[in-house]
Formats: sequence, structure tokens, C-alpha cells
Amino acid sequence: MSGLQSLRLVRVSAVSGRRILAARVISFIAALAVGAVVLAACGFDPLHLGTQILKKSLGSRFGLEDLGLLLTPLILTGLAVTVMMKIGLWNIGADGQFYIGAFAATAIGLFVKGPEPAMLVLCFIAGAAGGALWILVPTLARAYGKVDEIITTLLLNFVALLLVYYVATGPWRDRTTGTVASTGRVPYEMPDFFGSLHWGFVIALIAPVLFGLLLRYTKWGYEIRLTGANPEAAHYAGIPVRRRMITIMLLSGAIAGLAGMLEVTGTVHRLQGGISNNYGYLGVMVAVLARGSPVGVIAGAALMAIILNAGIILQTQGLTTAAVLALTGLIMMFTAVADQFAHYRLVRALPVPAASAAAG
Amino acid sequence: MTDIPALATLEQPVIALEGIGKVFPGVIANADVDFDLRAGEIHALLGENGAGKSTLMNILTGIYRPDSGRILLDGVAQAFNSPVEAIAAGIGMVHQHFKLVRAFTVAENVHLGWKETPRLASAQVLEARTRELSERYGLAVRAEARIDELSAGEQQRVEILRVLARQARVLILDEPTAVLTPSEARTLFKALRAFKAAGNSVIFISHKLDEVLEISDRVTVLRGGRKVITEPTANCTTTKLAQLMVGREMVLGGLREAMTPRDEPGRVVISLENVSAADDRGRAGLIEASLPVRAGEILGIAGVAGNGQRELSEILTGVRKPTSGKVLIEGVAVEDPSPALFLDIGVGHIPEDRLRSGVAPSLSVSDNAVLRAYTEPPIAQGILFKPGAADTLAREIAADAEVTLPSLRTPIRNLSGGNQQRLVARREMRIARLAIVAAYPSRGLDVGAISTLLRYLIDLRNAGVAVVLISEELSELFDVTDRIAVMFKGRVMGLFETKDADLETVGLLMGGQTKPATAPTVEAA
Repeated sequence: MSGLQSLRLVRVSAVSGRRILAARVISFIAALAVGAVVLAACGFDPLHLGTQILKKSLGSRFGLEDLGLLLTPLILTGLAVTVMMKIGLWNIGADGQFYIGAFAATAIGLFVKGPEPAMLVLCFIAGAAGGALWILVPTLARAYGKVDEIITTLLLNFVALLLVYYVATGPWRDRTTGTVASTGRVPYEMPDFFGSLHWGFVIALIAPVLFGLLLRYTKWGYEIRLTGANPEAAHYAGIPVRRRMITIMLLSGAIAGLAGMLEVTGTVHRLQGGISNNYGYLGVMVAVLARGSPVGVIAGAALMAIILNAGIILQTQGLTTAAVLALTGLIMMFTAVADQFAHYRLVRALPVPAASAAAG
Repeated sequence: MTDIPALATLEQPVIALEGIGKVFPGVIANADVDFDLRAGEIHALLGENGAGKSTLMNILTGIYRPDSGRILLDGVAQAFNSPVEAIAAGIGMVHQHFKLVRAFTVAENVHLGWKETPRLASAQVLEARTRELSERYGLAVRAEARIDELSAGEQQRVEILRVLARQARVLILDEPTAVLTPSEARTLFKALRAFKAAGNSVIFISHKLDEVLEISDRVTVLRGGRKVITEPTANCTTTKLAQLMVGREMVLGGLREAMTPRDEPGRVVISLENVSAADDRGRAGLIEASLPVRAGEILGIAGVAGNGQRELSEILTGVRKPTSGKVLIEGVAVEDPSPALFLDIGVGHIPEDRLRSGVAPSLSVSDNAVLRAYTEPPIAQGILFKPGAADTLAREIAADAEVTLPSLRTPIRNLSGGNQQRLVARREMRIARLAIVAAYPSRGLDVGAISTLLRYLIDLRNAGVAVVLISEELSELFDVTDRIAVMFKGRVMGLFETKDADLETVGLLMGGQTKPATAPTVEAA
């Protein structure tokens, strides 16, 4: 009955997007503040570092180009995860699908000769097909055997990674320049439109918008939304739930594969072991940040790209990679906490009418 | 009855509620309600759906906060902020929908969230403690069984044991017999009398008059959120209580008159022949059921909930596939029944568990309203889905259902259960050209809304649609059906012309007991 007891937290089920956004902004600032304190304690000047990041990432043409190059794969892998979330499933294997998409595009690039535009289209198809193929087994296992897709998609990442390492250091190794860890240069390149930024960036911007429109304005989209929200109600409405699930999973894999293809033909131009740069796993974070909104993926990916870019800049300023990772983790953790806190409201607990109790 | 209540008036009541008021947006749930509970009494709280019984008890146990009034516990003002605080003070409630962890054992459920649970305890220790509690309170439970292996009656005993183990002296039961067979109800009543004899008190929420007369010492009647009267049960009769409860001439009257008389049985539109089906856990849910569903008739399905009604309704709408037997539509056996097929031929379905299968709770009202119509114009155009047309249909359905909506974009889970129910009912009625299967359509509705709904089913029947009405309210079934089938443990126990059926026979069959040989029944196949 003390004053402390008279306040309590109550969970509310429906939270407005504005409330979430406000909580996120606060958490982002809080994370930066905590990071700044730690940096200052280690002898760095947080204000100086902050201005360096802004100047070098958003304030220069090269910075913006770099940002665009990071954004392209992040949007696509984030979208791949979001697409699966729409039907209530998790794709933790975007990294593997990315690798196989890159692998398939490289195979076309190294071993098929033809005019560049046609070959780029072929690479595009091969990349998407490779990603879809890589999620095929988890898809069938999920649809027909109810095998948890989180585990199967995750485990196939390691298979894909080892496969790419094998070809990049073995049979497809670049013998002309003598590097040991990558294939030769893929002769077909996505055309650039802004410095080193290629048209893959535009594809990445269009894809989430297109998917959002499909969800909202097509019968198929309605069926996907209904199936994701309640499979039993979808079955009751006469929707072939299993078939929709299979389509969505393959589409998710294809989008992640496409990200890999664009990375090879647009940015790296070779296949190498670390080509995914963890974009597949970061895509899961992007999707969580976007909270299931396809267009929100672009914003989530932008935040992630800025953080990654800031990380690179901070390293040039003398911070270790571990410190950069810790800062990234801090921001992610604060965001997750904020999302939870947005669900709670502080209410005054029922006061006990103490005076009237004695009287009564 | 006895002299205990007379003595108890001299004592302080265990619980006194004074002038309790509670307003929800647009609804007065409770207004100026006084209520007192004495030691050693069973006090019945009687009222229709929506009369404010559950709200009042939710206020007492700290789930809701009252807008006005106060709660006295042993004469001292008290306010609980949560059910945990209420149970700590010895007040425990068993809700209509059990709050047990289905994947845990009985012993684990009894010990969950209890401060006397040993910190380190093996399953054996917990089970031994549970057996001891079970004996002490005379409630037979199987300590090692998982909750989802148990019947509704057994689950209820676990809930009660949970509450009693925490040294409750006040037990609140919300519609405890709704899910019980007659024999399980008798067992419950025996346990309640023993609990009372030990000086404890029970609040018994119900809308079943005969039960209230049988078990309670005093009755408080609520109507429209207000207290009508508190009376010793000895002074009450069924008629008197019914009048107090409804407070106006029975709205449900006149339904029979609205049904146009039929000269001959309607043609069979859907027919089951020896159909068996598995339930969700793969056990036999429906066993060799044969049932004709006729056009222009209301076929009532009587039975305690959970005796195969869900499986039956899902077979009749293509949602569930039979494991054996034949489903015939207009006399032709269906090779591969599917929901889409039954939708095409015009079979509406009001499912028993709306949130689970009838709607997608997180989607908008508009999206849910078009669930049955999204494949056709005007909502669909080629491959396109037109949100504007969906909104128009949603508005029409809401207007028919007399539901006022804050916005069509609101997730449907934000509506009250009653409003969700009305929207689903109207949505399904729109597509019911051939037949409609309505599972417990009156659950959660007040008398006025039930009357409207039943009238609408009668209109469909008069227009030649086949209606299947699954209900646990025998009075409702006897009011509006042409035939009644009784289900028990997955089997169809009998099929009667309603005009020839008697309550006694149907009631006995619901409990699995074979009918008395003398009962005048007509098997109409």
C-alpha cells in the first residue's frame, strides 16, 4: 500500500506504429549515448567520431555510393525474410541462398559466352533459380513433413558457404592473377548509374514496393495475408494453404539468390568465400526492424547500412572491429527492448480507500 | 433450508461488495451492485448473458478495476490489483474457459505459480503432493496425466484443486456445469457441499435455474448490470427466478409460430453415411455417423460440447476429411470434399471457435468480412483484389449485423466477442444458398440478439435452406428445430422429430444413457 506499489506496468495488446517509432527513436539515442560514454571513457572523442561518420557517409558522394552498395543486398535479404514472415515462417537461410545465387550467376558468367544484356538476364534467372533451389528441400520438408524451417534453412547456410569456398579456392580459382581465394573476373557487369552504384540498387528499391502492392491489391496477396494471419481460417476459406506456403518459400529463396547475383555482377565481380558479408543474417535483423512491412524493409536496411558504414569509418579512426560490433549490438539490443516497452503502459494501481475502511 | 443462513446474518459477511459500478465504452456492465457472501454458504449469481455476472466477479478478483463502489473483505476495505493478490487473500476463481497449461501434467499445473511449490522438486514429488491434496479435498484427479488427455470434467477438478490447494475459503465458479455431463455435475455438487460444510463459501455463477435451485442457499439476480434481488433459495421457484432474470415477457416466444408448417420432409441436400473422422489429435472424433440434412428444415444437434460436434460441423462443410464413410451432396457421393467445394455450392459455416477458425484476428474487419467473397466480383477483378469494394461489403455486413465499427481498418480482435460473432454469422448467412451449419451461434449474445439470430435461421429455413443448429441449450433446440439429433462420444445417439421428442429422453442420451424403453421416439432416417 506504499507509494511505490501504486504504480504498475500493464501490457496493452494493440500498439500504434507511431508509438513504436517513438520508442525506437528514444532507444537509438539512448544506445548512442551509452556508446558515447564508453568511447569517452576509453579516451576517444565521441563528438569528433560522430561528425566523421556523418561527413564520410552521408556528406560525400563516395559515402553515398558505398551506402547504396550496402543497401542493395540488405534490402533484398531483408525482403526475403519479410516475405516468409508474411506467411508465418522464418527464413534463416538467406545467407545460403545468397551464396548459391552468387554461385549460379558466376557459373553462367565464367562458362557461357554471349552478348552482355542477354547474359545478364540469364545470370538474373540463374541467381533467382539458385536461391529458390537452395530452399526447395526445407520447403518440401515444411509443407509435407512439418519439419521446422528455422533449423533446415539455417543448416543449409553452412553447406552453401563450404561449396562456394571449395569452388573459389579449387576448380574455379583465378589462375591468371594468382589469387588463392576467389574466382576469375565475371565478364558481365550490371551497368552503373551513379558513380559505382549499379542498377541493382534500383531493382532492390522496386522489389519491396512491388511485393507490398501484390499483398494489398491482388487476390493472391489477400490469400497470403490470410494464410499468414491464421492458416486454419485460410483453410476454411478454401485457400490451398500448402501450395501458397510453397510458393512463398520459393519466392523468398529466389529474392535472396537474386541479392547474391547482384553482388557478383554489380559490386564484387568475382565469387569469393566471404562474399555474403553476413547479409543473409543481417536480413533477419532488417526484417525484424521492419516489423513485417515490405516497404519498411527499405528503412530497416537503410539504418543497418548506415551502422555498417559507420563501423567501417570508425575502424579507420582507430577503433577495433570488436568495439564496432559491440556498438552495433548495443543499438540492436536497445531497439528490441524499445519494441517490448512500447507494449507497456504505466498505470496507477487502484488506491485503497483506507479512511473509509475504518469508518465502514 | 437450514438454520445456518439465519445464524450467519449475525456474523460479518466474508465478502461485501458495495455500490459497484463499471462502464465499458458504450456499455454499462455494472451499476450500483451490492452483494454479500457469508461463511458457509453457496450463493448463486444468476442472470442472462451480458447481465454483468462475470464483470462483477472479475472486479472482485482484481482483473478489472471498478469505476465506483468498494470491496470489503471481513469488513475491511480491500482492493486486489490482480488475481494473484485475490488468491493470496483466499479468493479463487475457476473460469468458464480453463486456464491450464495443456502440455503440462496435472501435478505441474497444480504447482504452477504457487509459493509453496518446493524449489527443487522431481515429478514424483509433485505428483505425490498432488495425490495428497486430491485426497484431502476429495477431488479425484490423475496427478501424472497431461491436461490434454483429460475430459472437461477432469480439467475442471484440476482447476478447483489448484484453487483449494492455495487455501481458498471463497471459491468462485463461472458457469461450471456448461461443459459437464450430468454425472460429472453431480460429482461437482457433492464436492461443493463438502467444501461448504467445512465453513467455506462458494459463489456459483449460472443461468441455469434448476441447478441454482438445487445447489444454492441464496440467489442474487442481476439484470442489465444491476442487482434485482437477493433471496434465500428456499423462497424461490423456477418461474419466479425466470421472471426476475428476464424481467419482461420472454423474447424467445413466438419463434415456433414463425416457422411455416411443412407437410412432408424436405429433400435431403447433404447426407452422411457411416462417416468417421479423426479429431485434431488423431483420435476418433466422429464415429460412424449417419445423418440426413434436409432442405427447409432446421436440424438440431444436441449434446454436451466436445462430443464430436466440431468434427461433425467440419465434415458438413468440407473443412475436415472423413477417414471412412461417404458424404453425399444432393444424393451424389463427393470424392474429395474441400472447403472450396462447399463454398461453391453455397454452404455457410458459423464455426464454434471463431477466433481459431472463423476469422484472422490480426487482420482488419474489412479483410475478415470478405473471407467468403474475395474470389468474385466486385471484390475480385481478374487477379486483382479491390480494397474499396471489400470495404463496401464490410460496411453492408456490419449494417446487417447491427455492429457499429470504429473503423474498418481495426483488427477484428479488437471487437467484442459478441460483435465478432454477429459479423461472422451475417457473413455466412450471405453465402448460404443450400445450407448453413451454425455451431453454438448464440454463445456470447444477449437474449435480444439470440432471438434475432434464430429468427434469421428460421427465415433461411422457410426459404428452403437446410439449417444445422448445434447447441447445448436444449430449450433453444426444442424452440426452433424440426428434428433433433443427439451426440455422445462421437456417435449420433438418436434422431427425433422435435414434436415427438421429450426433454427427458434427449437429456439421458446426452449423458450417454440409453433411453427408457417406454419413450415414444421416432427414428427418422
